[in-house]
Amino acid sequence: MTDGLCPCGSLLRASRCCAQPAGALAGQESLALLDGQGQEAARLFNDRKYAEAEALALKLLDLAPNFRAPLRVLYEIRKAQQRGAAAEALGARLAALPGPAQARAAANMQFAQFLVGQGRHAEALAPATETLKATPRDAAAHHLMGVVLTETGNLPGGEHHYRRALKLLGRDDPLAVANLAWNLRQQGRLAEAAALYAQAVPPETENRRGIGGYAQVAFARGNRQAAVAMLDAALARWPDDRTLRLLRVMADLAMDQPQAALERLGPPEQLLPLEALALGRAMAQLGRLQEAMGVIVAARRAQRERNGLAYDEAGLRARAEAYKAYFTADRVQALPRAGAGAFMPVFLLGFPRAGTGLLEQLLAQVPGFAVGDEAAPVGDLVQEVTRLTGAAYPQALDEFIAGGGVELPDRLRGLYEERRQRRGLLRPGARFITDRAASNVWHLGLIKLLYPEAPVIHVLRHPYDLMLSNLMQDRRLEGNAQAGAPALAKYYALQAEMIAHYRGQLTLRYLPLRYEDLVADPAGKLREVLAFIGAEAAPPDETTLRANAAALPDPVPEHLATRAPVHARAAYRYRDYVAQMPHLFDELRDTLAPWLATLGYEDAEMRA
Amino acid sequence: MSGAVEPGKQVVPLSEALEKLARLEQENKLAEADDLANRMLAAKPDHPHILHLAGIVAYRNGRVEQAIARMEQAEALAPEMALYPRNMCEVYRGAGRLEDALRAGRRAVELAPNDSRAYFNLALIHYERLELDESVRMAERAIELDPDYAEAHFERAEALLLAGRMREGWESYEWRFKLKQAEGMLPKTDKPQWDGQPLPPGKLLIIGDQGFGDCIQFGRLIPWAALLAPQPVLACSGELVPILRQIPGAGKIVTRWEDTGDYDAYIPLSGLPRLAGIDTGNVPPSGYLSPAPALVREWAGKLDRLTPKGKQRIALVWAGRPTHKNDKKRTLKLGQFAPLFAREDLAIITVQKGDSIAQVGGYYGCAPLVNLGPEIGDFLDTMAILQSVDRLVTIDTSVAHIAGASNVPTSLVLPYAPDWRWLLNREDTPWYQSVRIFRQQRPYDWGGVVERVAAGL
Repeated sequence: MTDGLCPCGSLLRASRCCAQPAGALAGQESLALLDGQGQEAARLFNDRKYAEAEALALKLLDLAPNFRAPLRVLYEIRKAQQRGAAAEALGARLAALPGPAQARAAANMQFAQFLVGQGRHAEALAPATETLKATPRDAAAHHLMGVVLTETGNLPGGEHHYRRALKLLGRDDPLAVANLAWNLRQQGRLAEAAALYAQAVPPETENRRGIGGYAQVAFARGNRQAAVAMLDAALARWPDDRTLRLLRVMADLAMDQPQAALERLGPPEQLLPLEALALGRAMAQLGRLQEAMGVIVAARRAQRERNGLAYDEAGLRARAEAYKAYFTADRVQALPRAGAGAFMPVFLLGFPRAGTGLLEQLLAQVPGFAVGDEAAPVGDLVQEVTRLTGAAYPQALDEFIAGGGVELPDRLRGLYEERRQRRGLLRPGARFITDRAASNVWHLGLIKLLYPEAPVIHVLRHPYDLMLSNLMQDRRLEGNAQAGAPALAKYYALQAEMIAHYRGQLTLRYLPLRYEDLVADPAGKLREVLAFIGAEAAPPDETTLRANAAALPDPVPEHLATRAPVHARAAYRYRDYVAQMPHLFDELRDTLAPWLATLGYEDAEMRA
Repeated sequence: MSGAVEPGKQVVPLSEALEKLARLEQENKLAEADDLANRMLAAKPDHPHILHLAGIVAYRNGRVEQAIARMEQAEALAPEMALYPRNMCEVYRGAGRLEDALRAGRRAVELAPNDSRAYFNLALIHYERLELDESVRMAERAIELDPDYAEAHFERAEALLLAGRMREGWESYEWRFKLKQAEGMLPKTDKPQWDGQPLPPGKLLIIGDQGFGDCIQFGRLIPWAALLAPQPVLACSGELVPILRQIPGAGKIVTRWEDTGDYDAYIPLSGLPRLAGIDTGNVPPSGYLSPAPALVREWAGKLDRLTPKGKQRIALVWAGRPTHKNDKKRTLKLGQFAPLFAREDLAIITVQKGDSIAQVGGYYGCAPLVNLGPEIGDFLDTMAILQSVDRLVTIDTSVAHIAGASNVPTSLVLPYAPDWRWLLNREDTPWYQSVRIFRQQRPYDWGGVVERVAAGL
C-alpha cells in the first residue's frame, strides 16, 4: 500500500485525511447507514473508553472521512493528546462539514476556540463568523466573536459583540463583563472599564485575568496604590501566578523601583523570556548595563529558539517591493484625490519607540487638537479597497481612475472619518486629529489620495537608541521584528527605505522632527510643529509642557495614561552602553550605517 | 593526446574572435561582449588588441578604471598602434582626466597624422579645457582631411559660438542636421530651407528641432520670422505646444508632419539666429513667456499650504535627462546642494522631474524641502510655480530656459566647459536677463560653486 499515515498525526491514512481528494466523499444518505456505528463511537468516548473510541473512529473515518460523529471523537482525542497539527486538521474539517445549524455552530465554535487558545485570533475569525451565522442569537457565539475582534484590533466590533452577548444572556456574566472591560480599556475608555471591572471582579473572584486587567486600568488611571494592592492581594492568594507577578514587576518598573522588580523576579535562569526582558529593564534602570544586555539578548534568543519567533524578512520585503513598484510619481499623479474632509488628520510617523507618543502627548495639550493614537488606521481601509474594487491592493487603486471609481477616495476618506468618529475621537472644537498608527509607514500612498495635503510629521531618533529601546520592550512588532537586534535593524532599514521611497515619489507635507531636539526644547519644537501644521493656537508655557500632566482626554490612549514628564535622559542613551560594550552595535553597523549617515546621526556617533 | 581539443570546446581563429568582439561592442550587445572579452583575456592575457577591445567593452559597461588599465596595458605592449591612443583619448575624457586625454590625443595624431578622427578627438579635449582656438584649429584640421565630417564641423561651431564668434559659428552650426542623431528632425521634402526672403502668409514652416530648451531659447525669433513670412506654421512636439503658443506671430501649430499643409520653405527654429544675424549684442530680450494667472494662483495656494512661512523660497533642479549627451557634465546629486540645505532661512521647492526625484527620500537638511516634482504635469505648471518662488537654482536644463524666458530670477550652475549658449567669462547671459551664472572653476569640479550660489541668496 503506497498510502501512508497522514503527516498531520491523526493516524488516519493521508488519503482519508489531509490528502483526501475533493469530491470523493460519501453523501449524507450513505453516511446515514453508519449512524449506529457513529453513535457507538460517541458513547465509548463519553464512557471514557478512549482507546476503543479512537479505534472505532479511525475505522469509520477510513470508510467515510466526512462522517461527523467519529470525526468529532477523533478531534477531541487528538486535542487532549496535544497533537496540535492533527487536532487542527480534524477541527478544520469538522467545521467545514455541512449539516444542521447547531452542529455547524458547535464545530466552528470548537475550532475557533482551539485557535484562540493558541493565540491565533486572526485565523479564528472565519470559524467564529460561521458560528455566528449558524446561531445568530447565541450568547456564547457573540462572546467568542467579541474575543476574536478585540484581540485582532477591531475594538468597536469587539465591544458590540460583548454587549450583544450580555444582552442575550440577560445577566451580567462576570467573564463577559470583564472581557468587555478589557476591550474598553484598549479603547482608552478607562473610566467605563474601571466601573465594569468593579462590578465583574469582586475581591473574592477567581478570575485572575480579570484582576490583572482591573489593576492595569487602575494603574493607568493614576490609582497606583490601589492597583498595587490589588496585585499584591492576588499574589498572596496565587503566589505562583507568573502573569500576576509580571504585572506587579511592570508596576515596580513604572514606579521607578527596579530593585524591587529585581528581587521579585529572582535569578534569570528561572525566568520565561518576557520575565527576563523585565529583569533586563530593571538592571538597565539600575545602571547594570552589561548584565541587562546579557539577560535581554538571552531572552530574545530563548524566544527565537523555544517559541520559533522569527523575523519575516521575506514577507515584508515582498510587500515593500510591491508597494514601491506601484506607488511611483507618474502612477499616483494619475489617481484621483478625495476632497476636503471633516477634519485634518496629522500623521505622526516614526519607528516604534521613536517618540511619536511623546509628540502626541504634547499636541494633546494644545487647544484644537484631539488625540487619535492608533485607532481606526488608514491601513484598515485596504480591505475596503479590495472589497469595493474586487481587485488586490495596491493594483486595486487603478480602479479609481475610471467611471465610478473616481468617487472611491471620497468614500474611503468618509469611512476613515466615520470610524474615528465612532471611536469618540472627534471632540468638539477639534480641528486636528493625530494619527500615529504604526502601519502608516506602508500607506503614505493611500494617505496621499485621501488627504493630499495632510501634515506628516516624522519623528526621528538615533537608530541605536531605537534598537536598545525596542529590544527591552515586550511589544510585538510587525513581522516579529522584535525577534532580535539584527531583525530590528533590518526592519528599521526597511521602514526607512519605505519612507524614503514615498518622500521621493509623492509631494508630501512632510516635517522631520528629531526626538533628541524635542526633549531638549519641547516648547520651541512644538511651536515649529504647530506652525508647520498651520495651527494658530499657542502651546502651553514651557513648565506646563514639560510637566506633561494636563487633563486626560477620554478616550485616552495607553501611552497618554502612563505618560511621564518630558526628560532628556533617554536621548543618546546608547552612548552609555557603547562606553561599557564597545562592540555592542558591530553586528548592526552594516545595516544601519547608511541611515546613520543619511539622517545626520554619524556626527553624533563620532562624538560618543 | 597532445593538442586535442577538449570536448564541447570550439577553436576559433583569433582574427575571427577579435572581429566578433568588435562587432558585439558596436551592436551594443555589451553583456555578450563582456563575456567574450573576459574569455579571450583569460586565454591570451597579454594580447594588446584583446586588451584594447576589452578596455572599450569595460568602458561601455561603466567600469572606467578597468577600461583604462586594460587600454594602458595595450598601449604599453604596442606603443606604435595609433588606434590605441586615439580611443584612449575619448576614454580619458569620459573619466575626467583631461591631461591624459590630451597626451593620448597628441600621440594619436603623431602616429597617424592623416587620421581625421584623431584630430576631432583633440578638438573635443581642447573644448573641455576651454582652449577654444586650439579646438577650432583641430576641428579644421579634421575637416581638411575629411570635408564632409559633420561632427568636426559641429564641434567647430560649438567652439566658435562658445567663444562668442557667433556669425562664424552659425554657419558651421548648419552641419547639425547631418549628424547621425539628427535623423528625422527635419521633414522629408523637396522644398528649400528658408533663406530669409519674404513669403506669403502661412507658407513658411518653422520646425521645433533640438531639445525643449533650444526651442524656448530660439522661440523668441518667431516674431522676427513672422515679419517676413506672416503666420508661419509651427511644427513641434506636443509638450511644447502650450509654451510656443504664447509667442506672438505664429500661425497654426502642428505636431505631425502630415498636418503642416503646403509650404514654400522650411526652417528649423535653431536656424533662425543665423538668418536673423544674431550675435551677443542683438539678442531679442527675454520675458516673452508668461504663465496663465489662474494657474499661477492655483500653484501659489498650494505652495502657501505646503511651505513653511517666513522663508525665502528657492526652487531647485539638480539633474537633467540622463540620455542627454552632456548629462554627466551638467547633472549633480541633490546632496551636492548642501550649502543651500544648511540655511534655515530657506525653503527648498524641488521642481525636478524624472528618476532623480527619488533622491529627495534621503533629504534631511535644515531647510524644509517640498518635493513638488511629482505633482508637476507639464512646462506650464513649472512656469506657474516659478512665479511663486524667490529664485530658481538650476543646472543647465529646460527649466533654466523656462525661467529665463519668463524673467524668473535664476542662479544657473554650469560645468567648466559649458554648452556654447552660455558663453564664457561672464555672470550674465544676453539670452536671459534674469539669469545669473555660476561656473565651475576647474573641469568636473563642483567645489565652491554651490557655496557661491548660497552666498548670493
